[in-house]
Amino acid sequence: MSGTVSTPSTVARFADGLLTNELPLLSDDRRREVIDFIGRRVQVLPSLTRFGVLMIGRFVDVTGMIVGHATMRRFVTKLPIPLLAEYPRLVRSLGFAYVWETWPDTTVDGGTGVAP
Amino acid sequence: MTTHHECDVLIVGSGAGGATSAAILAEAGHDVLIVEEGPWVDQGSVSPFSLDQMDKQYRSGGVTVALGVPSIAYTEGRCAGGGTEVNSGLYWRPPEETLERWRSRYSIKDFATDDILAICEEVEHSLSVQPVPGEHTAASRILQRGADKLGWQNGEIPRWMTYPEGAGATQGRRQSMTRTYLPRSFDAGARILCDHRLDKIVRNGRRAVSAQLTHAGNPVTIAFRDVIVCGGAIQTPAILQRAGLRHRIGRTLAVHPTVKLSAKFDAAEHGAVNTPEDVSVFQVKEFAPNMSFGGSASHPGLVALALTDNWRDFGKAVTKWPELAIYYAAITSEGRGMVQAVPGMRDPIVTYRLTKRDRDLLGQGLARLATVMLEADAEEVYPAFKGAPIVRTRADIGDMASRFAASKASVMTVHLCSTAPMGDDEKRCATDSHGLVHGTDNVFVNDAALLPEAPGVNPQASVMAIAIRNARRYADQRAG
Ligand SMILES: Cc1cc2nc3c(=O)[nH]c(=O)nc-3n(C[C@H](O)[C@H](O)[C@H](O)COP(=O)(O)OP(=O)(O)OC[C@H]3O[C@@H](n4cnc5c(N)ncnc54)[C@H](O)[C@@H]3O)c2cc1C
Repeated sequence: MSGTVSTPSTVARFADGLLTNELPLLSDDRRREVIDFIGRRVQVLPSLTRFGVLMIGRFVDVTGMIVGHATMRRFVTKLPIPLLAEYPRLVRSLGFAYVWETWPDTTVDGGTGVAP
Repeated sequence: MTTHHECDVLIVGSGAGGATSAAILAEAGHDVLIVEEGPWVDQGSVSPFSLDQMDKQYRSGGVTVALGVPSIAYTEGRCAGGGTEVNSGLYWRPPEETLERWRSRYSIKDFATDDILAICEEVEHSLSVQPVPGEHTAASRILQRGADKLGWQNGEIPRWMTYPEGAGATQGRRQSMTRTYLPRSFDAGARILCDHRLDKIVRNGRRAVSAQLTHAGNPVTIAFRDVIVCGGAIQTPAILQRAGLRHRIGRTLAVHPTVKLSAKFDAAEHGAVNTPEDVSVFQVKEFAPNMSFGGSASHPGLVALALTDNWRDFGKAVTKWPELAIYYAAITSEGRGMVQAVPGMRDPIVTYRLTKRDRDLLGQGLARLATVMLEADAEEVYPAFKGAPIVRTRADIGDMASRFAASKASVMTVHLCSTAPMGDDEKRCATDSHGLVHGTDNVFVNDAALLPEAPGVNPQASVMAIAIRNARRYADQRAG
């Protein structure tokens, strides 16, 4: 997946994989909207945090090209490596917060329509 | 093209410190210009505690972090009125013993407890501080019920809100700075420039002479007689450091770290417990000042966020968000942090180090808070740390406590202070007893940065009372 207007492509690719994996029933439209939101938030992060996120994003992306993006995603989401582990945590937190704030009736796997 | 302005007194930031300073000085006849980095957003035009509000009224969309183990997420208001526009409105006078400790430990002159409390009384009047006249939210009643059953001290915290007669908690109108002290300052002739970020204060020896700002990408300069920096506890030290002022500045950041949990209640028995647009106004103070418990904003998005640390086990609770509410355990921390401006970087680097006692206290706080929830009949409690179990019984609390480590928790804070502490003890303090930065003739600080320590209670009243005291002293000494 290439980056959208506001989302750096490395972060967009990672977020896309993470959301597809963890919220498999989230529709493509919604997933794109969530990725846009994550990108907007990454753009306004404080200087050092943004730099760190973009560097880690690039590292994860480049390594993913070699070992496979899914393998790399599993690796960074499972292992509690300081700093590296903050990356999926940030992406997931932003993404999930956006999903349930925007569509509060979303099911746990990202599906629609179950009124709480 | 560069725009140029002039004024007697330049006030940087329009939050609790800046707005009160502006009102007092403008009413005393000074020509006051306020510059505010964020936009003017009318109260009520955005939904409280929502992501939309975070976009419009928080710095960096609310995603700011003090690095450490664990890192501590913090938030700062960034709009006209600063943090007062977005906060929970819970009002606490500074405790008398805290004021006394500050006076003696930091050698603060003219700091009689009675004088500060008299200013608090004025603030209470100006902000219409009062309890909820009508019904409380379910989230408030839960905290009260749980604490009462345990026999733990708890109570309603009054807020700066006005209510229609007899109205319930959710019908309050927040009396933030854009509704109170800022209009008062405008009536007395003060001006405000919103969306103007101060980049640098230019000094000539001990005197600051002008300020460089950016507005919509364009340069702005302001010449002034005196400057009062009220950018909040993170931005103020960074502004001072960029002006070359470093003595005791940004080295003693103090916060109230908090850990959170979500609790689920039986809908048939308790109805919907989640009130997205409001927070609990009850706090449990049985273990104060070391720890206090209260309620957090519980929008469905924030509920999802609170469950993400253990999504595989906790995730399914998210569809039941109307039955869930989020609560926090806050501690007074022995640890301290640093704020460091870095040349060429727009934002400062913020770090914070919790001590062992702090980390232990966070674990104890979370366990006691879970106990309150179970006593209040929670069916399930979801603590916000990685590897936490779902808590359903008292026995589970022991399991939870044994698995807890602060390094695995989502620690956060909204109370930031002490990065330019005031007092005549130059070894400890960045400013004199009234906010004049040591080593300067006309650079003042008048915001949360001045509080020598975190007060152990919600801090806005302390910030305002000290800012009003200092502004009055300034007005007495320098004719308008
Ligand atoms: C979510 C939240 C909930 C809270 N709840 C409570 C509560 O219930 N009770 C309580 O007592 N306290 C609460 N607080 C804390 C309280 O809001 C703060 O203690 C108080 O607002 C601090 O006042 P201040 O003047 O130091 O800074 P702020 O109110 O933060 O104001 C600083 C202002 O300066 C501006 N500024 C910064 N840098 C620049 C620059 N370079 N150029 C121009 N402008 C600049 C900012 O945009 C901001 O508007 C809460 C805070 C938050 C964020």
